[in-house]
Amino acid sequence: MWKIPSETNFIVFDQERIRQSFIMSENSLIRLEQVTKEYALGETMVHALRGLDLRLDAGEFVVLLGPSGCGKTTTLNLIGGLDQPTRGHVIVGGEDIAQYKADQLTDYRRRKIGFVFQFFNLIPTLSAAENVEFALALNDDARDLRQRAFALLERVGLRERANHFPAQLSGGEQQRVAIARALANDPAVLLCDEPTGNLDADTGHHVLRVMRELNRAQGTTVILVTHNAAIAPMADRVVRLHDGMIQNIETNRAPQAVEQLVW
Amino acid sequence: MLHLLLLKNLRDLRASLAQTIALIIIVALGVASYVALIGAYRDLATSYNHTYEQLAFADVTFALDSAPSDVVNQIAKIPGVAAVTGRLIVDTGLDLPPELGGVKNAQIRARLIGIPEDAHPRVNDVLVESGRYFQPRDGKVALLETHFASIYNLAPGATVTPIINGRKQPLQVIGTIASPEYLVVSASRQDVIPSARSFAVIFVPEAELDRLMGGNAGINNIAVRFASDANPDNVIQQIDRELNAYEINSTTLQADQASNAALHLDLEGYREIGFMMPALILFVAAVSLYVMLGRLIRAQQAQIGLMKALGYADRAIVVHYLGLALLIGIVGTLLGVALGIPLGSEITTEYATELGIPLVATQVYPDLMVEGAILSIVLALLGGLVPALQASRLPPVVAMRPSPQMFVKGGRTWIERVVRLPLWLRVALRNVLRVRSRSLSTGLGILFAFVLVLGAWSFMDSMQFMLQDTFQNVERWDVMAVYSTPHSWSTLHRIESMDGVKRVEPILLLPATIKGGGASEDIAVTAIDPAQTLHRLELENGITPAQALGDNKIVLTAALANKYHLRVGDPVTMVTQAKPGSHEKITRTLTLGGIADEMMSAVGYISLDEGSKWANITGFAMNGAYVQVNTSQASAIRSALYDDTKASSVQLKSAVQADWVSLMGLFYAFIGMLVVFALAMTFALLFNTMTVNVLEQQRELATMRAIGTNRRKILLMMMGESVIVWLLALIPGLVLGTLAARELGGAFQTDLFALNIVIAPTSYVVAALGILLTMLLAALPAIRRVNKLNLAEATKTLT
Repeated sequence: MWKIPSETNFIVFDQERIRQSFIMSENSLIRLEQVTKEYALGETMVHALRGLDLRLDAGEFVVLLGPSGCGKTTTLNLIGGLDQPTRGHVIVGGEDIAQYKADQLTDYRRRKIGFVFQFFNLIPTLSAAENVEFALALNDDARDLRQRAFALLERVGLRERANHFPAQLSGGEQQRVAIARALANDPAVLLCDEPTGNLDADTGHHVLRVMRELNRAQGTTVILVTHNAAIAPMADRVVRLHDGMIQNIETNRAPQAVEQLVW
Repeated sequence: MLHLLLLKNLRDLRASLAQTIALIIIVALGVASYVALIGAYRDLATSYNHTYEQLAFADVTFALDSAPSDVVNQIAKIPGVAAVTGRLIVDTGLDLPPELGGVKNAQIRARLIGIPEDAHPRVNDVLVESGRYFQPRDGKVALLETHFASIYNLAPGATVTPIINGRKQPLQVIGTIASPEYLVVSASRQDVIPSARSFAVIFVPEAELDRLMGGNAGINNIAVRFASDANPDNVIQQIDRELNAYEINSTTLQADQASNAALHLDLEGYREIGFMMPALILFVAAVSLYVMLGRLIRAQQAQIGLMKALGYADRAIVVHYLGLALLIGIVGTLLGVALGIPLGSEITTEYATELGIPLVATQVYPDLMVEGAILSIVLALLGGLVPALQASRLPPVVAMRPSPQMFVKGGRTWIERVVRLPLWLRVALRNVLRVRSRSLSTGLGILFAFVLVLGAWSFMDSMQFMLQDTFQNVERWDVMAVYSTPHSWSTLHRIESMDGVKRVEPILLLPATIKGGGASEDIAVTAIDPAQTLHRLELENGITPAQALGDNKIVLTAALANKYHLRVGDPVTMVTQAKPGSHEKITRTLTLGGIADEMMSAVGYISLDEGSKWANITGFAMNGAYVQVNTSQASAIRSALYDDTKASSVQLKSAVQADWVSLMGLFYAFIGMLVVFALAMTFALLFNTMTVNVLEQQRELATMRAIGTNRRKILLMMMGESVIVWLLALIPGLVLGTLAARELGGAFQTDLFALNIVIAPTSYVVAALGILLTMLLAALPAIRRVNKLNLAEATKTLT
């Protein structure tokens, strides 16, 4: 059962305030300036984002919320360098990654971003530890890969399952391996696309708890895309999107503990 | 319903257009090669037979010393004889003037054949290709065999000057002709290579030839055609009896006739390849279909689940997916037939032109098309059957599960337990084992590519090795002179004293017949000095020429020794002339002194002393000489040999070698075609496999790229997969390829010609690297696809 969370803890911005706050926050970790994304779907032109402006600060836990087709995943993909805007700027750490070439984007993703996907996207022929090693090996430091992989799995509570292959792991375990992999190169930003979308509620809670701990303990910026409004109360900020535009941004002064989330 | 399923099939194929086209091309190549190669084989056989029928090629030919021409009338009366022709054939020399590329006084061998001037011969007719046939009272005219005329560009109006009865007789050329006896121009079966450059066949009015030979020469060659219901053995026995009064030198059946035997040898070799190639290509087509349909079905798993949920029967699902294979089979077949018919016709025409077959018959063979269609469609259906059955057996609930990739089993390989491999290599290795049936079928495809490439390549190696060995190691002379009669020391000394001559060694060429175990055959025996160096005898088991060529000893080739089951020390029965030119025969029992490994099979060697005994000459005799010369003076020496020593023929080794090289041209082109086919097949197979691999691993590859794996590493992993399959197929491929080469080589072993199958080490390397390179090239489109992946989309796609 979906439960709409209490609104009492949120400050709601209107569009003009959003714009103002964006302009004023030149030092944000991530800034999206007038970002438009259009693509052809068959013979139809889809306007996924329509001049989006957004800024996200380092260490924030942000939830991008909205119905299907509102542009939340597109926003995540643009921040992650998986896609490029039709127009506008995506500035991360002071650099406009919209101007990056493919190789620069690859390097950017490797050094700064960690991804967590809805379907985990583990390499099925590699064990849990090897999946993490695979990401670790992308780094210039190739020492003690196995030990470091075990340590990361330890952090997500899967040390004892390190030698299991994806097909031998539950959905929640796979997602935790995916998180461990995403953390391999100590990313500045963790991008999570519907990380609980393919998990039952208990497992979903477990995964969110891991993310929250990482955010709080490491200061990793987490951007989580979901259409499950029940997750929103755990975020520092909630960005609601609708039809390729920001509908509102809510700042949560006292984010709820994961245990309190109910869906 | 069927209409909709067919529509779905067509759209499924369109959705994977590149793979569909690759599959259609493979099927089309298989069908085209089947229709073209077997069709061309039949066309060529038909063309020979058509030519033979039209020109009444003799079923049996008797060579005599001499007989009166009216003996032909007696033979014509024998039951079972449909037609008979008696001819006078004179083997002699022909002046080759400088304007035809000859040197002063140069001669080549010539065969003059007398035929009627008022009508075409009833047996062994000639086909006039230019000019006209004889007319009564034509006088000193000639018809030239077309190969010779074409090499020297001789047309009607030209003059040729053969030596007839010791005198030069200019004859005016009035036409060029094709003869069924000389489709391949060989003076005898011992001449393995066509020799139109050094052997002229000239037809002369029989009355004129008789006159030039001094009159009353009679006939020395009788050619007979059997009636369709005749018993050949009985007819030959009766003709033998009729010719009892005259000396029969040889009886040659059509199958043993030099030109016909050479053509058949060629055709049989062609047939082997003509059947093997389409079979391999069609097999690869089936494997490719299996791979692609397997992938398609995995990708459509959810659709299959839906079809089942909607109530489609298992059978309908099998039929639906088999329909895909069938569509590919049908389109491939149609394309293959459309390609195969003109290709077959082209091969026949090229081949026939190269060989000079005058009457070419090309036709369309509906049975081949039907066979090709059935073969390809059955193989296509077989290729599609397993995936289609697998699809039908999927329970709907399993089929509709979201991500089949989630159920891919991981596992470590035994190699990883032994060696710690880098991660990218572990990924590549485990991917190979991921869909084992696909890797196995890919491996099999590569295996067959090795078989085809090595099988074809080994022929080139073997030929090149053989020619190199023969012309560099065995035949060390530069010029060989042959005399029509035995000569003495004085000729040898004259040659030695010629300017530019480095060394001369005498030889005595003697015709002989070897007998044993109920078989017999004519061989060329050369008597040589055991200490000679210009023809190197490479004897088995370390035996030296001095040991092997002792008194009453003979050296035979390995091919002859094998055929007659002879070992060194065994007795060898030889029938020889009592003396040169005599028709009296002597049976001699010699001891096999040694076994030589040589290209030409039907030859033997004895010592010069033994040769003198055979020739019934006391003291020294020679009728030929190996001459080593300063290369720049070879032509002048050839001229001097003709002029000063009256040689009947002088051969330059360089010219003989050039003849071989030119003969090999068509052969190499054919081999080249085979190799290209094999590599095209490997490319198409691997292209499909790699594309399927990428499609199935699209999400993983996209994820790897999303987390920052660079293209080089992804390229390394994908290439790694190809290299691992290649490595797994390498050893069995090389072994099977070698065995196939040996097996195919066996088809080219003949009584006259021993082809030792040799595969150069570099060929193994070239074949292996060529196949690897083809594989890597075939992976490029798939790699390009990975590089162009829409990462945002592909990381979410359920493949």
